[in-house]
Amino acid sequence: MPRRYEIVYIFDSALEEEQVKGLLARFHGLLATPEKPEPVTQSNHWGKRTLAYPIKRRETGYYVIEQFETEPRLLAEFERAVKLEESVIRYLLVLNEGEAPRPAAVARPFGETEEDAGEGEE
Amino acid sequence: MRRPAKTCPVCESGVRVVDYKDDRSLSRFTTERGKILPSRLSGMCSRHQRQLGEAIKRARYLALLPFIKAYGR
Repeated sequence: MPRRYEIVYIFDSALEEEQVKGLLARFHGLLATPEKPEPVTQSNHWGKRTLAYPIKRRETGYYVIEQFETEPRLLAEFERAVKLEESVIRYLLVLNEGEAPRPAAVARPFGETEEDAGEGEE
Repeated sequence: MRRPAKTCPVCESGVRVVDYKDDRSLSRFTTERGKILPSRLSGMCSRHQRQLGEAIKRARYLALLPFIKAYGR
């Protein structure tokens, strides 16, 4: 069963935008399944940002946030690739279950049903 | 004399889930040194206080928020 995830990458800010896109394309290839050849549902480039504290002597990072849907078994290989990539100075992968695509839940009174929604995370 | 019950700022704003990427609003709930405010001071309901803790910790890992503000100064 495919699940929804959200990932934040912090790339080395010395990278060109094209290089970042190339890396992302490579990562996306690892997430693709026959049923879902285009796993990424949402991609958001924050661009360069000052880090709140230096990481590996770097003061800035290039932030990219993506939401995707894939099979959990593919994640091991995906995360291995991300960890090995030295220009990714940090990443955070979390479950994104029942949060983004729910247009129906507009103004439901607080504390009714859906207690557990949005708390699915790793 | 009882004080009127404080209302949770997250419930009031109508946001369902506290977002770890929203460092501006998260930083409102930290002390000047970057500690997480207790619910006694933040006024949050317990569900949102739990979400807030998790969100701030994630934001710290992503260097959106400092672990200690003005460290070494």
